[in-house]
Amino acid sequence: MRNITENPDYPGYLLKCNESLHLDSGKFINEFQIAYQTYGKLNEQKDNAILICHALTGDQFPAEESPITKKNGWWDLMVGPDRPIDTNKYFVICSNVLGGCVGTTGPNDINPETSKIYGMDFPTITIRDMVKVQKILIDELKIKKLLSVIGGSMGAMQVLQWAATYPDSVKSIISIAGSLKHSAQNIAFDEAGRQSIMLDPSWHNGHYIEKNEKPENGLSVARMIAHITYLSEKAFQNKFGRNLQEKKDLSFGFGIDFQVESYLRYQGRAFVDRFDANSYLYMTRAMDYFDVSEEIHLNQEKIINNEIRFLVLSFTSDWLFPTRESKEIVSLLNSIGSNVSFAEVVSDRGHDSFLLDEPQFFRVSEGFLKGIKK
Amino acid sequence: MRSDYQIILDLIPQNSKVLDIGCSDGELISLLANKQVSAQGVELNQEKVISCLGKGLDVIHGDINLMVEDFPYNQFDYCILTQTIQAVQKPDVLLNTLKKIGKNIIVSFNNSARLSKVARFLLSGSFDSLLKKADSDQWYNTDYIHPCSIKDFKKLAKDLNLKIISTFDVVNQKKFIDGKIPSNLFCKEVLFLLTNE
Repeated sequence: MRNITENPDYPGYLLKCNESLHLDSGKFINEFQIAYQTYGKLNEQKDNAILICHALTGDQFPAEESPITKKNGWWDLMVGPDRPIDTNKYFVICSNVLGGCVGTTGPNDINPETSKIYGMDFPTITIRDMVKVQKILIDELKIKKLLSVIGGSMGAMQVLQWAATYPDSVKSIISIAGSLKHSAQNIAFDEAGRQSIMLDPSWHNGHYIEKNEKPENGLSVARMIAHITYLSEKAFQNKFGRNLQEKKDLSFGFGIDFQVESYLRYQGRAFVDRFDANSYLYMTRAMDYFDVSEEIHLNQEKIINNEIRFLVLSFTSDWLFPTRESKEIVSLLNSIGSNVSFAEVVSDRGHDSFLLDEPQFFRVSEGFLKGIKK
Repeated sequence: MRSDYQIILDLIPQNSKVLDIGCSDGELISLLANKQVSAQGVELNQEKVISCLGKGLDVIHGDINLMVEDFPYNQFDYCILTQTIQAVQKPDVLLNTLKKIGKNIIVSFNNSARLSKVARFLLSGSFDSLLKKADSDQWYNTDYIHPCSIKDFKKLAKDLNLKIISTFDVVNQKKFIDGKIPSNLFCKEVLFLLTNE
């Protein structure tokens, strides 16, 4: 049984599913819910719906003010009235991913089998599992075909997974700063982040909520490591150089001397307030496991017959998901004979460019959406 | 419509797969798409890429000198290079790659050995007249870094084992038969249809 209600905890809605979800790991989740938000209006033909897939630390609130940070939504520049993803024209759906911590079922929910918090008993999930849950939501909204599925970073993984797994249900795809599979270097960074969390004594093998604690230090160091990978050398240099933090001389100690240290520590601390450590473990694992090439090959006929249009975008200074990896996507899509476009946007702000004010990036995306025939 | 486009539209059968290298704002691929030809473009200029996307065309943004290697082999029935070959860094390398990714290659270019051009060069003593694309172009900033004559191109095709199927005098939209080639001295713009078979 499935039913949709208003979300009591956040703006938006909850789709509650009283059924079991078969995961890629072979395990099941026996009851689950999907928290989502929508913007704009679904037209009568139900052919103006766009699904936005959020990145690792995103949520279902890309537009307007975020109820979590009380600042503009994470993709406020991209999504909204008269924005590239124009909510006057399109019906925009964004859901919190499976394993997340903003309302969709994740490791900190109660396991209906044991009536205890899942913690590390939560099954390992994949990007494909996340997308499976999104498909259930789209089915419940009675949308047969999404006009577009759009996402950056981990969102780009979901986007490609949509084309590979549900080629009948998408008209177009925008993959931003993504890849066909997680690289060894990216798995390495993920592992450093996870170890930092798991080695924090307050983690308690994942059962920190019961102990009324939080692995704050571990999660904040994980975020500091990750945050470095989201920027570029030039972005750091331009923003901070070797400037000292509110002092004239070096302290000859290990406190905060440099502005960049202060910035990183702040990023780490702020993250702890809005994100959950176990979700971080599960979601980074899902990214590590991601490799969609085979399934694209497997379903290539359907991808071609549905005439799915792909736009692959990358940023020049992104070294976490470099242009080379986006070109691999293009090359694979070309080899199966699909409709693919590619653009590389010049930016020196690294992987995070897709969340920032990059006019060229917006214009490319907007142009592509304009060219999609309903 | 540009006269070389008209010739190309007549040459390419329906349901073919085409790659237009240096597709600009997509005029040719959009004409081809109307003819049920599946066409993809390659373009360096981002504004032109955006314009193609807005028209619903498939376009790959990038420098053709660097990126043609990214295309899988045997993907296209036709690769098109209109008014581009003289602007690429290594025409022989590019043609060799196109040979692998497509069955046929269409190349059009302005004949640099045309008598009037050569005469202007001799009279003015300046290379500008041979290398000009736009009025503002000078020998040092022109995109046309490889002036080439019809004779030159024929030799290159032979060296690369590319068979010339047909040739056209673009301005007069005239097809030359029996392996005849337009005059190296008088033809302004030429179009070659080549095959790798």
